[in-house]
Amino acid sequence: MTTRRPLLGVMLFALTLSGARAQQGAVEHLKQTIDAVLHEADRAASHEALGKAVRPMLEKRVGFETMTKRAIGPGWRQFSTVQQAQAVDLFTALIIRSYASKFTPGERPVITYKGSVSTQPQRVEVPTTLVYRGSQYAVSYRMELTDGWRITDVSIEGVSLVANYRSQLDAAFRSGGAASVLKALQKTNNT
Amino acid sequence: MNKPHLLTLLFLAAFSPLLAAAPPAKPADDGERDEYAESTVIADPLERVNRATFWFNDKVYRFLFEPISKVYTTVLPKVVRRGIDNAYENAKYPVRLVGSVMQGKLDLAARQSGKFLLNSTVGIGGLLKPSQKVDWTKDLPAEDMGQALAKWGVGHGFYFVIPVMGPSSGRELVGMGVDYAANPVNWLWIIGSGAEDWAWIPPVGNTVASLPEGLSRYKDSTKDAIDPYTSVRSTFVQNRRSATER
Repeated sequence: MTTRRPLLGVMLFALTLSGARAQQGAVEHLKQTIDAVLHEADRAASHEALGKAVRPMLEKRVGFETMTKRAIGPGWRQFSTVQQAQAVDLFTALIIRSYASKFTPGERPVITYKGSVSTQPQRVEVPTTLVYRGSQYAVSYRMELTDGWRITDVSIEGVSLVANYRSQLDAAFRSGGAASVLKALQKTNNT
Repeated sequence: MNKPHLLTLLFLAAFSPLLAAAPPAKPADDGERDEYAESTVIADPLERVNRATFWFNDKVYRFLFEPISKVYTTVLPKVVRRGIDNAYENAKYPVRLVGSVMQGKLDLAARQSGKFLLNSTVGIGGLLKPSQKVDWTKDLPAEDMGQALAKWGVGHGFYFVIPVMGPSSGRELVGMGVDYAANPVNWLWIIGSGAEDWAWIPPVGNTVASLPEGLSRYKDSTKDAIDPYTSVRSTFVQNRRSATER
């Protein structure tokens, strides 16, 4: 027993350390993603061009499928495979367009990363403070470890992007099923 | 028996204990906890009226407030506008103090007082914010009576869209009333001084100064929305919950 206790302690320490390292990986992943977008934002001629330039990179770093699934809610199960793929594509385009529109070339926000908080196994919240054009915002990123860290939600001043779209897409689903959701996404992307 | 007054019914409905707390999140189909299921829920029995008011407000913001905001931001340099914003924020100290005390956040109340003293003296009447240079008074959250009511377990009640002012609820309406009375900017107006003695200038100035930020938040919530009305309602509910949980 006496030899097992130190061993158990070492194992727990190692687990804590690996957990902390994994969380640190999430923060690094987030920093790299935001830096890459800011780098492109400085060079892009328009918001549309920025959206096109960052989409391939964001598709590897953001869990768009997870976000779409959660934004649609329980209705997701009633989508066919083709409809699910369409929904992910349309929702990805909408999120990237919305995200890209917030950047102005040459105007870099000052972002302070405040570490990460583990919420569930393989999930962390990364709170940040963003100062842009003299105003300060609390921006928190939800990240999940799948085949690497993926951003799965962003909250600005406590307002979750996914929750916000859930309230809208869930209503669209209840009014006309998957077709209604796809039509609503298509229409919003075209405006 | 006398017919219950409509306002009484609205008041009772707005503060029904049944609406006091959101139900726990339901599990999703795949067994994963669906934490988004109830995160934006609020009773909206007046939705048709609210949507009409929302439409009206949208036009007011677009065709009246945006031009005023544009003139304000064009005429006054950024540094002057920043000073005006700081002064109005500093003047709202009683609102933050009452909000903090009512929530039992006495340490925060003390820090809010320190911030007010520092900004009012070293910060030349609140035009500057030296409080941001001191850890003890830096980045203090804005506290209000709506948060205190939520802490006491009062539910939102009904969702309202107030003409011109925008989204609110039974609980937040009461909170706003207390905050309005606690804000020194409105005191001259409240005690009955009329337009002839310029009592209207501080509150109107406060409204104009807050337009750029307020309109920017409104645009953020409605731009790229599938249904702007639902998006603003969701933003309101989430924002108030986040303020309460802070």
